[in-house]
Amino acid sequence: MLAIRRNLLISISIIALLLAACGAPQTQTPTAAPAPTSAPAPTSAPAPTSAPGGAVVSATPGLNIDMILLPKFLGIAVFDQANEGAQEAHAELRNPGKLIFTGPTAENSVAGQIETLTNAATQGVKAVMLSNNAGDQIAAAAQAAQTAGVTVVTWDSPIPSAQGETVFVAQVDFNETGRVMADMALSILGSEGGEFAILSASPDAANQNAWIAAMKEALKEPKYANLKLVDTVYGNDQSEESYKQALALVDKHPNLKLIMAPTTVGIAAAAKAMTDEGLCDKVKVSGLGLPAEMVSYTLSGCAPQFALWSFKDLGYLTYHLTYLIASGALKGVEGERFTAGRMGAYTIEKDPTRPKGLRVLMGPFTVYTAENINK
Amino acid sequence: MIANLRRLIGWEGFLFVVLILVMIVNTGRAPAYLSLSNQINLFQLSIEKIIVALVMTFVIVNGEIDLSVASVMGLAACLIAVLFESGVPMPLAILAALIAGVCCGAFNGLWVAYVGLPSLAVTLAGMIGYRGVARILIEDRSIGGFPSWFTALGQQPLLGPFPLSLILFATLFVLALVILQFSGVGRLIYVIGNNAAVARYSGIDTPRLKLGVFVASGLIAAMAGVLLAARLGAVRGNTAEGFELDIITMVLLGGVSIFGGVGNLVGVGLAILVVLNLRNGMSLLNVTGNVQTGVIGMLLILSVLLPNLTQMARERLQRRTAQRKEVQIETETPVSS
Repeated sequence: MLAIRRNLLISISIIALLLAACGAPQTQTPTAAPAPTSAPAPTSAPAPTSAPGGAVVSATPGLNIDMILLPKFLGIAVFDQANEGAQEAHAELRNPGKLIFTGPTAENSVAGQIETLTNAATQGVKAVMLSNNAGDQIAAAAQAAQTAGVTVVTWDSPIPSAQGETVFVAQVDFNETGRVMADMALSILGSEGGEFAILSASPDAANQNAWIAAMKEALKEPKYANLKLVDTVYGNDQSEESYKQALALVDKHPNLKLIMAPTTVGIAAAAKAMTDEGLCDKVKVSGLGLPAEMVSYTLSGCAPQFALWSFKDLGYLTYHLTYLIASGALKGVEGERFTAGRMGAYTIEKDPTRPKGLRVLMGPFTVYTAENINK
Repeated sequence: MIANLRRLIGWEGFLFVVLILVMIVNTGRAPAYLSLSNQINLFQLSIEKIIVALVMTFVIVNGEIDLSVASVMGLAACLIAVLFESGVPMPLAILAALIAGVCCGAFNGLWVAYVGLPSLAVTLAGMIGYRGVARILIEDRSIGGFPSWFTALGQQPLLGPFPLSLILFATLFVLALVILQFSGVGRLIYVIGNNAAVARYSGIDTPRLKLGVFVASGLIAAMAGVLLAARLGAVRGNTAEGFELDIITMVLLGGVSIFGGVGNLVGVGLAILVVLNLRNGMSLLNVTGNVQTGVIGMLLILSVLLPNLTQMARERLQRRTAQRKEVQIETETPVSS
């Protein structure tokens, strides 16, 4: 009897262990600006926004096309926002088919994405919109799906080899990130300019470093001549550390007028630090941030401007492009132009970051101010 | 013995009923479910896990556990990728991966069987260690571009509509069934799992058998890793990460006792079918990953709790009848004297 009870206890603890492992906390919450997972490497050539010639294709509403929007995994706010955008386009194009938003758990992301893609063909789904989290491991499944007649379009994060994917919808260009930050600094500090500092994530975060480099490049232009970058510090995307670093910047540079943080953690921590210490009148905060976290600081004037690409727009644009390809209106080849509803015209172009890939570059950033942050 | 047998049949019967229910619901709700291509996909999507589940049954029946299988899979996959990339011909790379699997299994087995360390600790270390080696080998990259015959073996049908891995699974299942349920070696594995001390005093070479089981586990895991690399066509450091939990789940759900000595491959086969059909059905109905995990988790809880609870209830019942008999004897004694 005792032995059985002990066995039962052990059994329960084993189950608990297994279950805990199944539902382990998601360690992959986006820390730096919502995981710009695609990591479009910096390109020196300006992205061609419109190809010369070629008719602009627009969608015929009302076609019956079942689609799946497949994020890396569920439970991440920005993916929900992308779904909102896709649903908006779905309603707008009056597609009588289904738009299904489904995804794996974070722990089962690779196998789960492959499973969904494989079963999409079985279900007779016409198109899958994928934010790839499996690297090239998904290429075989994507190719099989394409062979079975499924249109595969990636967004947020592409298939590196581009095998199995028709087009990738890229959120932003790295060069543009630098320019947007320079413009926000100019707009906050005005033409008389002043000293500002950068509060970044970690010293070896590739995306942030590329954005900072792009910003420094932009600052060389004469119109930014009065903006003086005095320091770059790192808060390692930890709230506490970023908070301390922000206050240390103020102590170190008495004439500091602005902290620019190209990370969602850093910008929120810096804004909180300035607010807590009553420094908002003297030092402003800007950078890349999540509207939900920044709304109070923006309305209080502490962080009058910050930027982020809109995941809602990303979902909306991806839906339009996918609908056009799946309905046969677009072939998904270089140089084709199309209209994506309210977002205007776009062009399918070579992806400068992947030799065989094609992309549609979304851009631009959404710059959030007190006027539009609550929308 | 008879009670034990009845309990097993009961559990398998339960699994069988669940399987039929799942199949009926799937057929009703998802029209594409019964198609041959879907039935093959259903196996193909988890084929590496269910192959390893077969050998995991041996390990657990033997009274041990092997948490390192997924890391061995990952290591084997990374090894063939790295070797292939550095110019080694693919067949040699595959051989090297299989040998690595045998080495991993032997390493686990030596510590467990001859030193007497608990397999939970040894293979936990193996899980972390072998994964570490895989990550060192491949770093932060993804290696693909394997020869087309290799990826075709993983992705294309080989015999009729059946791909190589499915044929391998079917063959291994029959082989495992014969060894575990109908051979002398299988009987010894049960005896050791039931009571290792008794087995040792009966003159069974327990350590050698345990070592053999772990080596088999490493070899089959490495083979599964090679198949996974062929199916995916690309390998990363985290390939197969976390698979050990799904594998152990299927074995436990099959009625194999985590304490060893109890359970059989028929139950595990049924459990595999239940899990695969359930997952496939949910996926075809676009049930999200979170819910899928929840449902499988509930099944696991049932699988471990139900047999224990029924046994507890049965023993309590037996004790009560025994007490009643004692009372009867006590009341009878004065009369007889």
